Amino acid sequence: MKRNQFQTITTLAMLTAIGIILQLVEAFFPLIVVIPGYKIGLANIAGLFALYAYGSKEMIIVTALRVFIAALATGTLFSVSFVLSVTGCTLSCLAMVLAKKINLFSIYGVSVCGAVFHTFGQTLAISLIYQQFFMGGLLPVLTALSVVSGLGIAWITAMLLKRLRPKEWKNYLQQVGLNG
Amino acid sequence: MKKADKLLISLLLLLSIGLLIPMFLYSQQGSFAVVKVRNEEKLRLDLSQDGEYEVQGTLGPVHIIVSQGKVEVSQENSPLHYCSKQGAVDNGAVPIVCLPNETVITIENDTENIEDTVIQ
Repeated sequence: MKRNQFQTITTLAMLTAIGIILQLVEAFFPLIVVIPGYKIGLANIAGLFALYAYGSKEMIIVTALRVFIAALATGTLFSVSFVLSVTGCTLSCLAMVLAKKINLFSIYGVSVCGAVFHTFGQTLAISLIYQQFFMGGLLPVLTALSVVSGLGIAWITAMLLKRLRPKEWKNYLQQVGLNG
Repeated sequence: MKKADKLLISLLLLLSIGLLIPMFLYSQQGSFAVVKVRNEEKLRLDLSQDGEYEVQGTLGPVHIIVSQGKVEVSQENSPLHYCSKQGAVDNGAVPIVCLPNETVITIENDTENIEDTVIQ
């Protein structure tokens, strides 16, 4: 294995860890908005960063591991909220990969796509699991809110990418003597 | 931000607003609150009569209060207490939803027998 591969694996592991922490922190501070199911989705910063810094495969790895380990940590593995999480993240990952592939959108459009499809996925899953279709009524509000949070997440990730571009990252590591 | 981004965002916002408008347009002040647990109708409460009721949700009893033509959930057992935070409701467009208890309270008119569309 080349040094470069180790570097990638380490960075992905760290991104996953950051994603898990963001997800757990967010779960501790539920937004007191009277819209059930609304979350900012801070954890997606890690996934979006992986998508732009590395690629689709890496983003799927980071997101899948994040969802799985965070569920393990909160003790909700294979419960309803885990299923919701998985459905939302699968759809959102697919949407983001496709949105990036067609090369039409910048990071903002890709992130908004991901956020909106996450909402769609969760609404769909809730409707199917509980067999209740009132969530369809909340969908417009949730969609509008997820556009806003998607933009916020994209802004944060864009700033991170600007500051932590792979090349500069490498230079920084060389400066502190961690990378030969 | 590219042009396509702005287009996508405005389309999505327009879509959500477009979906919201009919919901508020066609929602009228109902006269009955229908309490459903696991999609099974448990109670049909007349909003003109004040009273306190209780249904058995998944995580325990759900306490419902009807007063001044509005319905609210006063006590329930759930992690985030969304439905008791929501307060009193008298509008058909805004159901009270308690997913952990699988309880839904909607406002309806007493027009049970009048369907607007029949699909066969």
